[in-house]
Amino acid sequence: MTVTEMAPRATRQPTLVPGVNDEAKLFARHQEGDKAAREELVRRFMPLARSLARRYDRSSEPFEDLLQVASLGLLKALDRFDPALGHPFASFAVPTILGEMRRHFRDAGWSVHVPRGSQERALKVRDAQERLANTRGRAPTVYELAEYLELDQEEVIDALQAIQAYESLSLDAPRPGATDEATSYGDAMGEEDARYELVELDATVSAVLGRIPQRERQILRMRFVDDLTQTEIAARVGISQMQVSRLLRRSLDQLRALTDTKS
Amino acid sequence: MAGAPNVSLTLSNQPENVLLVREALSGMAETVGVDGVELNDIRTAVTEACNNVVLHAYEGAEGLLQVELYVAPESVEVVVRDEGTGIKPHIRSDEEDALGIGLSIIQALAPRVEFKDVPGGGTEVRMEFSTPHTQSLGAPIRDGFEAPAVEPSELATTTGVALAPSELAKKVLPRVMCVLAARARFTTDRIADAEMLADALVSRGFDSSVRQHLSVSVSVGTRVVELRLGPLGSGGAGRLISDSDAGIAPVIEKLTNERRIANDGAFETLELTLRDER
Repeated sequence: MTVTEMAPRATRQPTLVPGVNDEAKLFARHQEGDKAAREELVRRFMPLARSLARRYDRSSEPFEDLLQVASLGLLKALDRFDPALGHPFASFAVPTILGEMRRHFRDAGWSVHVPRGSQERALKVRDAQERLANTRGRAPTVYELAEYLELDQEEVIDALQAIQAYESLSLDAPRPGATDEATSYGDAMGEEDARYELVELDATVSAVLGRIPQRERQILRMRFVDDLTQTEIAARVGISQMQVSRLLRRSLDQLRALTDTKS
Repeated sequence: MAGAPNVSLTLSNQPENVLLVREALSGMAETVGVDGVELNDIRTAVTEACNNVVLHAYEGAEGLLQVELYVAPESVEVVVRDEGTGIKPHIRSDEEDALGIGLSIIQALAPRVEFKDVPGGGTEVRMEFSTPHTQSLGAPIRDGFEAPAVEPSELATTTGVALAPSELAKKVLPRVMCVLAARARFTTDRIADAEMLADALVSRGFDSSVRQHLSVSVSVGTRVVELRLGPLGSGGAGRLISDSDAGIAPVIEKLTNERRIANDGAFETLELTLRDER
């Protein structure tokens, strides 16, 4: 097997801009404080900054903000670059610009929080799911949601996952057109309660079902005994389909853990 | 990094599969404590490596995109492999802009990068990321790993996934299923069912598997998704869909349209079909 270690960075970085002959002169003039040369360099390398910003376009920050951060990184790279070392500018600029963008994400609290843009998008997807289900009489596909919201598929899928992962997104956020009474769990479930018996998937399950909260028991029954879709359950209970999904998955997990312990 | 991968994805080099890889990375991050900024770096670098395969490895033809994730304490390694024409290191710097930027990005984001020529043709990009808070995933898995068999003729519609251990599979398989069910034009109701099915298979599938990995191949058609789970030990498939296991059998029965057990010598495969009959 031929193993090819990456050559040292500086010698094998691509030169990203064609027509580089006068680049050295521009950098020399820039170093002497020539503002026009600096502007020309910014103009030439802006496609590089834009291209890097686009790499993070789905990261829930508006593209304009990302481009601004990337441009700032480009300016820093231009000012710090030393042409005397003989390396192409791009080999210095790419890590500098990426460094600026990573610092931006870190400062925005990304490491510990779900970015706000992601949260907002998740709520939009949740509401669109409901609206489209109402108008079409069935749940929408990811393509339909993406088209309706002018998002790409990945953004919709990430939103579906975010709602699964972060309880606060779906539970605490206000629902459009909903009054407090109609949508609070207790009330909605209280009314239904009398009409539903325990889910009796089988004997083993019944034995542990009592340990699952009541509203989850009812949702389990609606899905697995009454054969309702999640969207239908959502409409009856007054929560979102994605929240139904999360509750179902969680209670099935609990059931499995409980039956495991029993056996 | 020695041993078998924690996640192995056998994919075709279609652009839409890059999304699947990104979702698998997110599921991994959720399990092992990779923070949002680190995940962003990993996703970006791995996307570049995958795009490289999508755009350049097969010169417009279809081919294999193999992605492997290895989780270690304080680091994550991702391997992206193809069987294509390869990008020879000496011409890399002369490639057109997009590709050039891609390689610079990988180098800027991954502290360690290695390119290898794969014997028989192809390229392997091995990227190691530093993730100081990554938790360990139990004992490393060494023996008996084989990526799920996906015939070249079915590569366009079929994805092979092998996962271990179950705590990681629990976060990764449902996300992969979500992407594939979305691709099959399932409604959000049916996508959620596919995720629930993935949960169920992860919860009990490891006990029936003859390997240390949970191995699934998933074929996608229009409004239909077919899963093959296996190789499973003798009686393993039956255990998953019989009433003797209350935690999973009724769930599988309710969520799937068809269930079959295929025998291949000593091993069994559980075949499940989900349709969206809206």
